[in-house]
Amino acid sequence: MTNLRRFLVGSAGFALLLVVVGAAAADPKDPGYVKAFSCSACHGYDGASRSDTVPVLAGMPAWYLKKAIEDYAAGKRPAAEMEPYAKMVLQLGVDDVAGYFARQKRPAPVTTDAAAVERGRAAATQCAVCHGASGKGDQSKGVPDLTGQPAGYLRNQMLLFKSDKRSTGDPNLSALKALMKTIPDEQYADLAAYFSSLR
Amino acid sequence: MTTISRRAFLGTSGVGLGLGLLGGCAPAMKGDFAPKGGPRVVVIGGGWGGATAAKYVRLADPTIEVVLLEPNKEFVSCPLSNLVLSGVRTIDSLTFGYGGLRSHGVRILHEAAAAIEPDARRVRVAEGYLQYDRLIVSPGIEFQTEQIDGLAAAGDQVLHAWKAGPQTVELARRLHAMPDGGVFVLTIPPIAYRCPPGPYERTCQVAWYLKHNKPKSKLIVLDANPNIVSKTGLFRAAWKDYPNIDYRASSKVVKVDPGAREVTTEFGDKVKYDVVNVIPPQRAGTIAVQADLVGADKRWCEVNHVTYESVKHKGIHVIGDSTIGLPVPKSGTVANAMGKISASAVVHMLRGQEPPPMPPINVCYSWVSDREAMAVINSFKIENGKVVQIEQKLTPGQSQAFGQNALGWARSIWNDILG
Repeated sequence: MTNLRRFLVGSAGFALLLVVVGAAAADPKDPGYVKAFSCSACHGYDGASRSDTVPVLAGMPAWYLKKAIEDYAAGKRPAAEMEPYAKMVLQLGVDDVAGYFARQKRPAPVTTDAAAVERGRAAATQCAVCHGASGKGDQSKGVPDLTGQPAGYLRNQMLLFKSDKRSTGDPNLSALKALMKTIPDEQYADLAAYFSSLR
Repeated sequence: MTTISRRAFLGTSGVGLGLGLLGGCAPAMKGDFAPKGGPRVVVIGGGWGGATAAKYVRLADPTIEVVLLEPNKEFVSCPLSNLVLSGVRTIDSLTFGYGGLRSHGVRILHEAAAAIEPDARRVRVAEGYLQYDRLIVSPGIEFQTEQIDGLAAAGDQVLHAWKAGPQTVELARRLHAMPDGGVFVLTIPPIAYRCPPGPYERTCQVAWYLKHNKPKSKLIVLDANPNIVSKTGLFRAAWKDYPNIDYRASSKVVKVDPGAREVTTEFGDKVKYDVVNVIPPQRAGTIAVQADLVGADKRWCEVNHVTYESVKHKGIHVIGDSTIGLPVPKSGTVANAMGKISASAVVHMLRGQEPPPMPPINVCYSWVSDREAMAVINSFKIENGKVVQIEQKLTPGQSQAFGQNALGWARSIWNDILG
């Protein structure tokens, strides 16, 4: 089929097409829609990261994304790749951006290693004390939701806590960091796979 | 309704096209070959800027018809393509289809835009034309081959490999076929050019390949600029691992002679090569020059920093590497950001609304070996209608972790452009 004929076949049904594919998940009328362009190259316009090391922002509670942005901007979470953007988002309006991503639908978890998930499930009882049996965290205690995040991202964060490179000196996290040091290296990937697999 | 809608969708998405149509004659592209039924945005160029813009217009307002003109059937990523030279990646791993855009309802015509008629608001394609309400031009760069004596006549004997594709593959083949002890010469044009750190990343990749495969060979880099123009300290540190690099600053190449296998600098220095890679000086893509979108320099396009509308022609927005005047590099991330922001501006302007000011972002990862990378990161704001930098940061050195982040960035942004 020639390029033009393919193009014209599309043209014939164009008005009807709008009905079918018109419903975008991300609402352009949302006050954070355009501001979220500062995040979407890496996190996706709908916050559904496609990368193992880039966190999913879709459905992330607004309070936690706001805290993360503030921590990155202040250097509490040292990250050359986030600090400039965190400062930009604070200038644009972090509440709009965090609210926008909180309203996006969380993508279904991707589980690639069922055995690792099961090993992680058995090891995760120590995490449930703070993050809850569901892994959903507790806003009143400032504990984040771990579920459905990419495994590579979760593992990297655990390693940052273990080496005290994230939120250095924060007294609220001293127990967490002490716990991280007790976890055998090979168990990080299992824990990450488990929490990543949860909805 | 459901059945008809599905057929219409399948028609536009290019999936399951009616077999009955295959046997007939191809309609000619003459006159107004696709009459406009409602508001229409035409996008010229399906690269990092244009493909993003096409998708984001549809995301913002699915009642707007979007037509993308892109001659190539597949998208080949320039970012990461230096890794094809070192043999770390294949070109296939950087090649993607346009099916994702079709699923957003973007109508793609694999043809080149022949001309723009701003007054009539139409784009000429072959013998016909397409009308538009707003036009987004993302033409990329074209080479100023005439600036280097002998380059035009050399044809494929001298490769640029600065648009990822067959030239990338052929340059890799020549590098890999070069005898151990051979000399690879890479020449870098004066700024401004596409991807400021790209030539220095290429230097790393060629040097890494030679170090591990042809230890008696060397790489001579002839840079027209007085120093490494991007991530200077990080590249200098990375090059400590590559004593096979002979970097020569302020060495603008003005002549190439494939018969003598020799390049000549503006100071008359002659350098022999076994394999050469000349990255020529650049300007905006040809359609931008033909349509009088370029400034007095006849090279680059000046635009409004909020809407990306051309300062020369109303109703035409220019994005990506062909723009000038913003404090941003000619990078894929910036083109992607401009695609989104221009799409938002176009949708607002079609409704008679004021576009919200939104600055672009930038990140440029550079691969310094087969698995280590580093990056420069920029954030921006809009101040008095102009893009102004908030901050620039460099990664604290190179690492495998940054390499993982670079891969994550690539996967994510390819999906943001095409998915």
